[in-house]
Amino acid sequence: MGRFEIGSYEMSMEKLNKKSLNRSPRIARFRAGWAIYRQNLLGKIGLTLLVIFALMALCSFIPPLIDPMYQPMTGVDPDIAKSTGPSLRHWLGTDFMGRDILSQLLAGARVAFMVGVSAAFMSIVIGTTIGMIAGYMGKFVDTLLMRLADMIMVMPTLLVVLILSALFGQLNIWIIVLIIALFRWPGVSRVIRAQTLSLKQRPFIEAAKVAGASHMRIIFRHIMPNVLPLAFLYMTFRVTSAIIIEAALAFLGFGDPSTVSWGMMLQWVWKTGHMFKAPYWLLPPGICISLITLSFYMLGRAMDEVLDPRLRKEAETG
Amino acid sequence: MVENNNKPILQLKDISKTYSSKTSFWGGGGKEIVALNHISLEIFKGEIFGLIGESGSGKTTAGRLIVKLEKPSAGKIFLNGNEITGLRGKVLKDFRLKVQMIFQDPYQSLNPQLSIYDTVSEPLHIHKIENVQARKYLVIQALKSAGLTPPDDFLHRYPHQLSGGQRQRVAIARAMILKPKFVIADEPTSMLDASISAQIFNILLEMREKLDTTFLFISHSLAAARYLCDRIAVIYRGNLVEIGPGEAVIQKPKHPYTQALLDALPKFGHRYEVRRYDTLLKVERDASQVEGCPFFGRCKVAHQKKCIRERPHLVESDGSHLVACFYA
Amino acid sequence: MALLEVENLSIGYHSQKGYIHAVEDVSFSLEAGKSLGFVGESGCGKTTLGMALMRLLPPNGVIREGRMLFEGNDLLKKSDEEMREIRWKKVAMIFQAAMNALNPVHRIEDQIAEALLTHDPMCSKEEAMKQVEDLFVFVGIPKDRMRDYPHQYSGGMKQRAIIAMALACRPALIIADEPTTALDVIVQDQILKEIKSLQELFKISIIFISHDISVVSDFCDDIGVMYAGQLVEYGDRQEVFTSPVHPYTKALLSSYPTVTGEKYKLEPIPGETPNLINQPSGCRFRHRCPSAGVSCKTESPVWLKLTPTHRAFCSSIR
Repeated sequence: MGRFEIGSYEMSMEKLNKKSLNRSPRIARFRAGWAIYRQNLLGKIGLTLLVIFALMALCSFIPPLIDPMYQPMTGVDPDIAKSTGPSLRHWLGTDFMGRDILSQLLAGARVAFMVGVSAAFMSIVIGTTIGMIAGYMGKFVDTLLMRLADMIMVMPTLLVVLILSALFGQLNIWIIVLIIALFRWPGVSRVIRAQTLSLKQRPFIEAAKVAGASHMRIIFRHIMPNVLPLAFLYMTFRVTSAIIIEAALAFLGFGDPSTVSWGMMLQWVWKTGHMFKAPYWLLPPGICISLITLSFYMLGRAMDEVLDPRLRKEAETG
Repeated sequence: MVENNNKPILQLKDISKTYSSKTSFWGGGGKEIVALNHISLEIFKGEIFGLIGESGSGKTTAGRLIVKLEKPSAGKIFLNGNEITGLRGKVLKDFRLKVQMIFQDPYQSLNPQLSIYDTVSEPLHIHKIENVQARKYLVIQALKSAGLTPPDDFLHRYPHQLSGGQRQRVAIARAMILKPKFVIADEPTSMLDASISAQIFNILLEMREKLDTTFLFISHSLAAARYLCDRIAVIYRGNLVEIGPGEAVIQKPKHPYTQALLDALPKFGHRYEVRRYDTLLKVERDASQVEGCPFFGRCKVAHQKKCIRERPHLVESDGSHLVACFYA
Repeated sequence: MALLEVENLSIGYHSQKGYIHAVEDVSFSLEAGKSLGFVGESGCGKTTLGMALMRLLPPNGVIREGRMLFEGNDLLKKSDEEMREIRWKKVAMIFQAAMNALNPVHRIEDQIAEALLTHDPMCSKEEAMKQVEDLFVFVGIPKDRMRDYPHQYSGGMKQRAIIAMALACRPALIIADEPTTALDVIVQDQILKEIKSLQELFKISIIFISHDISVVSDFCDDIGVMYAGQLVEYGDRQEVFTSPVHPYTKALLSSYPTVTGEKYKLEPIPGETPNLINQPSGCRFRHRCPSAGVSCKTESPVWLKLTPTHRAFCSSIR
């Protein structure tokens, strides 16, 4: 019986909220969402970590300006030709040929963001578009697109990239990003399709149809703004998986050799046999990979709660 | 009141609509549900025509067929004498200019992401009518005549900031901005409070005066239909059972179902026992095998043999009043 | 003595936007076996009032002041445990969305027997079943449908089952909050008749809450008209509907289309209901009131006693 009270109460609350807010729904929703987000511990931790990583990525431009030997890829300390532990000159030590680990770590943050966000963004754009079209058009278009999605979904991304790089030699980092994006959209499109299917039944879509709106107009003007929050949520999860795939590729030796990524750093540790000898070199990139994926994941979980009221704890109703 | 001798603007000819419930994987279980059963009717220019029925009677389906949100299973629909059943492309777009719809639930029929200006001006956008300046003027006019004053206050608001009544006015402004010839109002007030409903009714009446629009008013309420409509049709489980001038249907109903509907309405100050027609059976008959009258199962007047076997057709009973009952 | 006597009841909700005055200073009394109807538009506080009588307000709802004397005892002074005893056994409720109150995975008869057994542990299973059978006869559900599941019932039958459940413990008072709103006219009519005859049979008192004046005018002996959380007119059915006094009651009546009598032009009430958070000073209806005077702006209206039973909350009538 409790359900009814809460339900009717929420409705009356909604009405009141609606009257007093005089902003665009996006801003209003953002504010309301932020209020809920702020109460989420995981979300707060995730966001803090991400801010730290973002600062690291921004700072990656500083060391090379101080001294060219801090160039993460090409800069070598003229006095050091082997891996050394932390010192005043090299806060985290140097690698096997005397390059500064800290500046490599900072550059790695930049690469991680670049790879993660751009791959995720591309896969979201593809996935959302395909999901909306499949859901809205239905019938044969839907079947065709979803079978395609199924086929791609069952292909192991890592393996395909390995085979491709075996065929074409070393891959450029942007090609890797593109491949990750092309293989990671089906999950997104499934979710967006489901959302579109339910939106399609809503009267405001029918009203647009009766007004004479074309399919394109309905999809991009009426459906898209309503699925975007969900798409952004999935983007955070996609970032995580893109970073992990890139790190794994680099570690296995199939990364872009001209880019310093955390996976690449790990590969150097391993290849030069410092795995168990130089914790100052092994740990930072390892911890960073774990933490950045974890923080994107936590961000996603918290956003999930903002978007899906069912996941919220009861406490917030008051 | 509208003279019946002018040309019909809309004609339904022998329209049927059946839905088949989804067949299971093994092919079994496919059941046909008849939403509309050979419906024919004519709506004349300038009138407000009421289509009255209970939930599941097919009244909403009829409206959706006319605005081409769905396709009829059989039969033809004509607008101004032109068949509209197979329209596509440019011709369909032109049709959209002429026929509009006001939906039942104002909480669902406005896109939450679009401002009021964007919502109301969308039809102008789609049909590339006028430039930005003129569009703004038209939107303001439409909002004003839908009773949203001052209109400037509403232009940049969003649906969630409006009350149900205000939202329905926005929906009306959107439907009327193209000055359509024919508008379907599908239970436009069933989600609204009584005082707000009356406001909406009066707006529809004003619109009819001003723009000479023809309305199909779909509702479950005979009282609302009496207030608004020139003619009323009563629909029962997909069958038209009675069509006639509004006052005649309300004051002198002929079909037992219409009579039962009127009986069921609470009448201010009358005790419950007061029944004028008393045409409803206390216990329903099993009518699953009946080929004849759709109302047989609940009808007290029904004759066992004739009503089981034969389906009554709409016949003239006095002047323009049509009834589908052998005993009317 | 009256069965239920409510004095100066004020109820509100705490919300992020401020305190909501949902019900203010409502007093009424109900004799045993009589029916009292509350009429008003959405947001006028009628549902809150019903919930408060059952002491089922949501966690942020507070009964600020007043007394609710049921059989001479103040319900507000009862402990939660005592209140649970009273609910269903003495005071039962038929909800707005009652049709969803049935558990879809249990047979209807078991659910009603369950309600009986929890409130009367002395009752045996067989006895309970026998009583359920009787109840079904009363509410007019054929015996062979007793063992069905809720989804096999139509809306009207579900509502009948809910009524049977409310009657199960032979309560002295039933609170019916829009019990027929979702139903078609013919079914609504049948159910209301059913409730009416059961009320007479068992001498139950009923508080009937509805937005539909015509239904209330048919069903109830006494009527209270509510506006923006306040009772504005109260009296005998005949008095309120044949000679309404408060401008709101008058306006409400003239905005209702009817099927009897002359066809007249509806005079809708202009404007919208006021916000319940920032209550205007003076009369709450004055912005929409055709006969509002200068004093209505500043002075709170007073109760005008017209007959021993009929009163109106308005200062502009003399």
